[in-house]
Amino acid sequence: MAVGKPAKHAVEELTEGQQNRRRMLAWLSSVGLFGSAIISAISNLVFIKPRATYGAPNRFGIGKPDDFPSGTRIALGEHRVCIVREGDKLCAISTTCTHLGCIIAPSETGFACPCHGSRFDQDGNVTGGPAPKPLPWYALSLAPNGELEVDKGTEVGAGTYLKV
Amino acid sequence: MRLALAIAAFVILIIHGLVFYDQFFHKWESYQTAYFDQARALAKTDTERAAVSGRKPRIEQTIVTTFGENRVDRCLTCHIGSDDPRFKEHAQPLRSHPFSEALGDRLLNGKWERRHKFSDFGCTVCHDGQGRGLETFYAHGEDHYWNDPLLGYVTQHDWRAEFKDKLKSTEFMQANCAQCHTEENFKSTPLVAQGRQLFFRKNCYGCHRIEGLSSGTLGPDLSEVGKKFKLDYLWESIVDPRANSKTSVMPQFKLSEAEIRALVTFLKSRRGINYSETSLDRYRATLAGKSTVGKVAQPGQPGAAATSVATASSVVATVPTAALGEKLINDKSCLACHKLGNQDGGVAPDLSFAGLVRDEQWFMEHFRDPRARVADSIMPSFGFPETDFLSITAYLKSLTTPPPFTSPAEFFKGTCARCHGEKGDGKGAIAVYLEPYPRDLTKAGFMNSKSDERLITSIKEGVAGTSMAPWGHVLNDEQVRSLLAYIRQTYVKDKQRPLKERDVPNTNPIAMSAESVTRGDQIFQQRCTGCHGKKADGKGPNSLDILPRPRNLHNADFLNATTDRRLFESILYGVQGTAMPPWVDYGLTKNDVGNLVNYLRSLNQNAQTTKTGNKH
Repeated sequence: MAVGKPAKHAVEELTEGQQNRRRMLAWLSSVGLFGSAIISAISNLVFIKPRATYGAPNRFGIGKPDDFPSGTRIALGEHRVCIVREGDKLCAISTTCTHLGCIIAPSETGFACPCHGSRFDQDGNVTGGPAPKPLPWYALSLAPNGELEVDKGTEVGAGTYLKV
Repeated sequence: MRLALAIAAFVILIIHGLVFYDQFFHKWESYQTAYFDQARALAKTDTERAAVSGRKPRIEQTIVTTFGENRVDRCLTCHIGSDDPRFKEHAQPLRSHPFSEALGDRLLNGKWERRHKFSDFGCTVCHDGQGRGLETFYAHGEDHYWNDPLLGYVTQHDWRAEFKDKLKSTEFMQANCAQCHTEENFKSTPLVAQGRQLFFRKNCYGCHRIEGLSSGTLGPDLSEVGKKFKLDYLWESIVDPRANSKTSVMPQFKLSEAEIRALVTFLKSRRGINYSETSLDRYRATLAGKSTVGKVAQPGQPGAAATSVATASSVVATVPTAALGEKLINDKSCLACHKLGNQDGGVAPDLSFAGLVRDEQWFMEHFRDPRARVADSIMPSFGFPETDFLSITAYLKSLTTPPPFTSPAEFFKGTCARCHGEKGDGKGAIAVYLEPYPRDLTKAGFMNSKSDERLITSIKEGVAGTSMAPWGHVLNDEQVRSLLAYIRQTYVKDKQRPLKERDVPNTNPIAMSAESVTRGDQIFQQRCTGCHGKKADGKGPNSLDILPRPRNLHNADFLNATTDRRLFESILYGVQGTAMPPWVDYGLTKNDVGNLVNYLRSLNQNAQTTKTGNKH
């Protein structure tokens, strides 16, 4: 009959050094796995939105300030934005209706939607119709090459003008 | 176990960390941050400061939809200061793009205004490179063989040293302007226009095809050459055609450096597409059978030739004269291949005594279709107007000064050696361009199996269907005899033996009939195709290992000038000094040979009626 060795760990008491070592290893493992998990989570949250898409650019030049004489309200169809100039103050107001996204046109009193009759005043505030929100204003800046630049990615408060 | 787990967990963390870092910290972001910082420091007014203050690094991209296929350009992501005049002196990648009158930029009230706005045109349409790339390697193309190399430094720094200073970036950028500005004489691309003219004036079009411009087939198609090759490669190919292809038959044109520069720029502009056309335009153009790339008609086509080529060489004439012919020969680069007097292109036969050895009809047939009289000639078909051909013919006919015959040795050296070689071994300077290859005069087997009469006839009357000209108009009988004696003595090492009397009929005893031709065809397919090829064009599977090459049996001029007796002798008893065996040893009877001869004659029957070669 063969005599097997008794299982060592069952009877052996852990020394203090071994205990420390195990605690250390457990700590390292958990930091590693937990850290990876956090980084992955952050990456996923960030990369869920593409950094570049192939649609029309959000930031675009629209020409020199001189192209917009004082008192004009020029709607740029392809960009869906209306450039308003009063004296040396310029602003860019969206021409996409806040109701169902129709293209609205500047009117005598402000803006009017041809589809469902929403009305906005000169500053884009709702004066009638089904539109639930005022028209957003977009950031307007003067690019170094002397052209006006509209950034549709950045909304600014109504009444924010660019002085030229 | 626990240790392994701990290590694995840490390795994963490190990998994750690296990926995270790689995806979040880009070089272009630091470029943009640097730009914002410096722009803020440079700002003079509040407006300027405000314009920069809100901005964060992000991918700047232009989508160009106006010209042909949509192009996505992210170049401005790194070159973010391109349109900021304040960064004129800054180091790349932030330096602003220079303004220049040549690009159409205008100076208005002390401020420059761009003609080609980056938002409309993008960058890669002029500069090449890959618009989507966000790293130097991908965007600029560091790869030596990158398809669309950047035209700037990146491709220039590893150019062949001797070409480096010959091309300046502003010059070869014209090649890219020409991709949209295809007008023939667009003022901002003078080099391209000059190169295009040279392409016609130097007769490049005779060999090379460029879609919409020319239809040559001898050389490579150059329609997309600008896409495939870099500038130094193009330069090298023009200066030294055999640098990249040892077997190239392209002659070395004597071009000035300025001319090469123009040609290279023109060739670089040939990309096969034109950005200013939509794909729909191109489709319509192909349907209409002509490309809109160039407004020049196909020179290969009759009628069109007169306009494009005549204007290209600026020689318009109605009355053919020898003087005009002389001018044409010099202008049109005939001497890039041919020899005339002191000028020698080193490719094609000597024209110095052309008036003595060929007649008007031969010249005209040769010009209209170079393969009409020499079946395998490599001379391109140049679509010159008929008056030009008549003028050149008149001039060549006027060249009737015979070469001096002081001694057979002198004559051989001056006249025969160019093809047959200084050593008479058939390896003359231009031998590789001639088809069939010049006879190797040192092969005793051949030379001693032929009678003096037969060889004298070859010298005097030439060999029809080959480049061997009839020298009987230059030399008298006595001179021919002494020349042959000289050749036998100097080059044929073995002594001449008395010829064996052979049993061959003088004319084919088998009457020409469809049945006989079919039998001949059968025998030919069984016995002869190994060398002469299934099509009897001399390009059989064994032909490459044999010199002299097997005869092209479609060479009507040659066959029609060859007697039945000679064909019988060659087939039955072989041609000594060549790979042609004596078929009488392999069981061919006279009747078989008769059928074969009928078959060969039938191959060339159509040509027979139109030719005036001396018949058997």
